Amino acid sequence: MSRYIKPILLQGVALLSLATLATGCASTATGLSQSRLNTISSPQKLTADLPPGTIMAVVRYPAFIDTAAQDKFYDLYGRRTIGGTTSSDDAGVAEVRGIADIMVLKSNYFALSLFKELAERMPEHSVLLSPHAIKLDANGRLTSEPMTQAESLPNIVSVDFAAYTFPDAKRMMEGEPLSFGDIVTPLVTVRTDHRASAATQGVLLTSRPILRGAVANGRQTAAQSMVNIEKGQLDGNVPELDFITFLNNTVPVRVVSQNLTSRPSQNTLSTLPIEKIKLSGEKIRNFNIPSEGITDPLEEKYSAGLANQVVGLVNQMDLKKATMVGHAGAISQFDESLAALTLIGSTDADYQARTKYADRLLEAEQKYLSVQSLRLFDGVYNGELGAQVRDILKAEYDILEKRRALARKQNLSTGLAVLATVAAGAAIASQSGSSRTTLGEQLAINALIQGAIFSGSQAFSYSRRSANIGNNYFASIIPALDEQISVQVDLIDSNETITAIRYEDLSAKLQTLYDEKQRALDVVATRCGYVGSGAQKSGTWMGVCENGLANGAGVGVLRNLDGSAMEYYGYAENGQPQGPGYMIVHGLTGTHTLEGNFQNGQADGVMRVSNPGKSDVTRLYRAGQDVGSAPRGQGVMSPFDNLIVPVSPVAFIPPARVAALAP
Amino acid sequence: MKRAFTSFTLAAVLGLCLPVSAYAQTDGQTDGVQIGEAQTQDELYQAYLREKNSVNTTAAASGQERCITIMSEFPNSGALPRYQFFKLSEDLAVDTTPEFRAALSQFGEGDISDTTPILDVVETIANPVLRQAAPEIVVANMAHIIGFAQDCNVYVTGQLQSLQASDNSLAQDDILIAEDALYLRQILSDSLSRLGGENDLTHGAAIQAYSRSLIVSRDVIEFAGFDNDIDDLEALYLTDLDGRLARSNEIINSEINRETLGDAVQLSKDISNTANQQEKARSVNTLQRILGIGY
Repeated sequence: MSRYIKPILLQGVALLSLATLATGCASTATGLSQSRLNTISSPQKLTADLPPGTIMAVVRYPAFIDTAAQDKFYDLYGRRTIGGTTSSDDAGVAEVRGIADIMVLKSNYFALSLFKELAERMPEHSVLLSPHAIKLDANGRLTSEPMTQAESLPNIVSVDFAAYTFPDAKRMMEGEPLSFGDIVTPLVTVRTDHRASAATQGVLLTSRPILRGAVANGRQTAAQSMVNIEKGQLDGNVPELDFITFLNNTVPVRVVSQNLTSRPSQNTLSTLPIEKIKLSGEKIRNFNIPSEGITDPLEEKYSAGLANQVVGLVNQMDLKKATMVGHAGAISQFDESLAALTLIGSTDADYQARTKYADRLLEAEQKYLSVQSLRLFDGVYNGELGAQVRDILKAEYDILEKRRALARKQNLSTGLAVLATVAAGAAIASQSGSSRTTLGEQLAINALIQGAIFSGSQAFSYSRRSANIGNNYFASIIPALDEQISVQVDLIDSNETITAIRYEDLSAKLQTLYDEKQRALDVVATRCGYVGSGAQKSGTWMGVCENGLANGAGVGVLRNLDGSAMEYYGYAENGQPQGPGYMIVHGLTGTHTLEGNFQNGQADGVMRVSNPGKSDVTRLYRAGQDVGSAPRGQGVMSPFDNLIVPVSPVAFIPPARVAALAP
Repeated sequence: MKRAFTSFTLAAVLGLCLPVSAYAQTDGQTDGVQIGEAQTQDELYQAYLREKNSVNTTAAASGQERCITIMSEFPNSGALPRYQFFKLSEDLAVDTTPEFRAALSQFGEGDISDTTPILDVVETIANPVLRQAAPEIVVANMAHIIGFAQDCNVYVTGQLQSLQASDNSLAQDDILIAEDALYLRQILSDSLSRLGGENDLTHGAAIQAYSRSLIVSRDVIEFAGFDNDIDDLEALYLTDLDGRLARSNEIINSEINRETLGDAVQLSKDISNTANQQEKARSVNTLQRILGIGY
């Protein structure tokens, strides 16, 4: 290498870096070829048995913004951003409104990809769609409510899905999150009932940016559930979408989280980084070509991986804990005296017969709602509406490709300019040395300098043209989007109206059939007093009562003066936990659980203890105090493992132990 | 059992009432010597069963001829009644243990010939007067059907399968037949109770077990009826719902104006192209200014 060229190249590298910093090398809106979910999750068979009348998974997504909530939603969408910050002046401007609307439209469409993948992996009629309407609550706070009855039945997991776009179109070619053309940025949360994962507030997996919202939503839902029990209700507690809780900036409690791995730790929430997924351009180009059929570009890059992950989570889950309150809530709609008894169960013949009938009713409702979801899918995905959304995606893809081409040109021009400057600089440096430049060299330098100016001018021009293309697109497409969303809502509304009318009719007939066929229950569930480990505390019990106090199986909740609260599922005597039980303690900063035997309201025996971020441990408790490791070979007495209502809870021995003690 | 004696199998029987022929049943007679040697209740019972089984073994040798004789007395008026009565016979033998058959032999009185029409046998069991006045005859008639259904099980199954093969719809009313069978079994249990069977030292346990199995059967059949009703409701509502939603989807989708979107996209392209050309022109002008061309 010549002694002249080397310094030039070194200078070139330095100047190129400087130029890149100065001009901002235009990004070409790149994305990941695969979601981390696809690399972590492998296809697996669902091994968990579906409890009767239970939904395996509900896919929840924003489908509609109520007129009264629009301003608030657009404003928060512009302020509470993910992946970057916006000027406060940007919040609520027309462009933000358009982008927020597109977010809703894309969420509607891509949620169906996830629905399709989950339905392929799970039993028939066990996956439902739950479109949500974004509304204002009575306090003027943003919230969301399901538009159908899909969440009225117990479900094992719910999956919140949204396709996010950063609310500044000018930055669509940069690193900010985008759902446009062949780029999709999913925000997702997989949650279960908090009783099955108390340490994480029921959240199993979430996109990292909305972690706080998901956890806060989980805590809110748990708190509302306790309020309902205090009112004597087991039903009607559907959490809002996590994205809405994120926008509201609700303060969460502490949970322990880790990046998603193939072997997640117990009591630890898995997080996914924000991912801009790049879909197959070829598939998008071939959209709506009849011979190609309807292709799903998200499936191979994201949805299949997420569905595999959900199956894995369900396989590892304690289904009883995940569904017991939802199941009891659904039963309470037509048999209140039975509902709370189902939390723990019983071997009593009357009870068994009655729950069998009740579960059959839930199965009928499940099938009914499943038909609704399948038709929603059919109407949107396979109908004209889906074709139109694909038209939009295709048009967006073309826009994005043009902008990419311009960005590449801009980068090339910027590079040429820098190189020219470098060359000129080298020449000048050389000129300042011992030898003088020739006329020819001087002309060459002038040409390079002019070329640099030309290239710089071109780069600037490409940048402006690139930005205009996106802005023009938004400006022209937004009115058409309004029509899209309103048609989509028409479809859901119509669906909901038809099902609601028929659903009511069906429910009434089911109720009549149920009432005709039922035998009396000897033991019924009612509401009465519940006492914790100290007599000064008082709470509410739903279950078997005697003399106004908890006496048998059921659920109790109570609140402490310091703001902490406690849920207890199991057996009680004289108002206090007594016998096998599962206690969830909601502290001020986090939640832990104790499962095992209770005596006079206190943990007493071998207990399974779950704490945030730690693996479950079995410890020996005496009178509520941890006194050391559990003796080897001693199991935990769970209220859910055996279905014998103890005659005397004090002397309760589960059947397996009775057998072991027999001579 | 709440239901009245009105379901179609039994109604058919009542419609075809024939005189009851009651004959003493010859099998199941006990030999007091062997049984008398037993020292405990369990020994007594086992001895009884041994003896009973030996009688059954002997009976099996001439089983084929007996089965054919009894089957020839089943209705021949069509596939449906024939299927119904074979199915009823099969359902009547549910939960019948050897111990219970021994008890039937003990408490049944009256000889039922193999040539007695099955309709007569069922009518006798269902006869309310006989139930009250002579429960032992009811027991004997039930023992006759149960014995036939168990001993001739291969033939009964064969008949049912061949009838179903010829007409698959025959099985659609199985639940009603099961309800009738349960009703008759309940009569049998009541009759044995009237005869003091439940407290019998030898047979009490088997009779009580049968009585308990009736509760389970009743639950199963009642639930099957409920399940059937729900199935019907589901079929009605789900088909209706699916049709309505499909029509609604079609209407809404057909109202979508894809041209609006196409226009918007085209507009966007036009604006972009114009802007592109303007920007190009501006770029050329800038370059011209830089290079001093034309100035």
